[in-house]
Amino acid sequence: MLLQFLIWLENLTLFSGLRSSAYVYPVVLALHLTAISLFGAMIVATDLRLLGWVLSGSSTADVIAQLRWPKRIGFLLAGTCGFLLFASKAEEYFYNPFFRAKVLLFLLVAIHALVFRRSVYTDPSPESPIAKVSASLSLVLWLAILCAGRGIGYVAGRPGMHYR
Amino acid sequence: MIENPLSTSPTGFAVLECFHIAGFALAIGMTALLDFRLLGLGLQRQSPAQIARAFEWWTFGGLVIAVFSGLLIFSTDPDMYYLNWSFLVKMGCLVSAIIFNYTIHKRAVFRAWAPGSARIVACVSLVLWVSVIFGGIFIAVVRTGLT
Repeated sequence: MLLQFLIWLENLTLFSGLRSSAYVYPVVLALHLTAISLFGAMIVATDLRLLGWVLSGSSTADVIAQLRWPKRIGFLLAGTCGFLLFASKAEEYFYNPFFRAKVLLFLLVAIHALVFRRSVYTDPSPESPIAKVSASLSLVLWLAILCAGRGIGYVAGRPGMHYR
Repeated sequence: MIENPLSTSPTGFAVLECFHIAGFALAIGMTALLDFRLLGLGLQRQSPAQIARAFEWWTFGGLVIAVFSGLLIFSTDPDMYYLNWSFLVKMGCLVSAIIFNYTIHKRAVFRAWAPGSARIVACVSLVLWVSVIFGGIFIAVVRTGLT
């Protein structure tokens, strides 16, 4: 069922075109990495502030509030490019262990957000230990996602894909 | 002849690439954070100099990690890289970006240049660093090597 959906998805004109294009595909990949740099640095900046290592003259709430929308835009950009890359080889990605790990790690990021949302991000109490736990976990999770993402490209393509 | 251990170990090479990506994402992303501030976006309640002081060592650390992992990646296939025009463009942009960052860019940030000039500096910086990423990705696209 899921696999049939992925085969349908990857054979849409947009995605089969992207898969077979020599130059558009790498451009999307480069944009994905550019967005990762922007988004990643904002994640690190927020986490370093939560840890109390940088910008100690500004409040945590101030840094979080100012970076909220830029982070959302960065994530949307990285996510859109990532989805384009995934959708053009959806069937192959489905079997890719690193892609599966990456999806699992995104679920953990969502759980992290749910757990720490109120205590850390909406209503940050200054220099609380829970903020430091949240920041450390965030750094570990996003770094793991970065490594899993790089790993995807190292798994050899499978024969018998239903590319049209 | 001594074999470069990285050429025979796909795992070693992959780990090196993770370091490379994490390093450049940190360095380029934090520089971009500063550039967007010069453009009047992002951390607007902090001055560009405050942002630069907070993150300059993190930026430098990311750059060091990216350059050293990059040198090791280069060592696995030097002649391929040397003959690759995308690699050469990338190196040109990288050297320009680093020099620009520690000369004009630094002056614009710490001497609080007027918004007009600061914006131009920010745009030049963003274009140079993003070109480095594109140059890196296109190495694999235009690769030919010795035949």
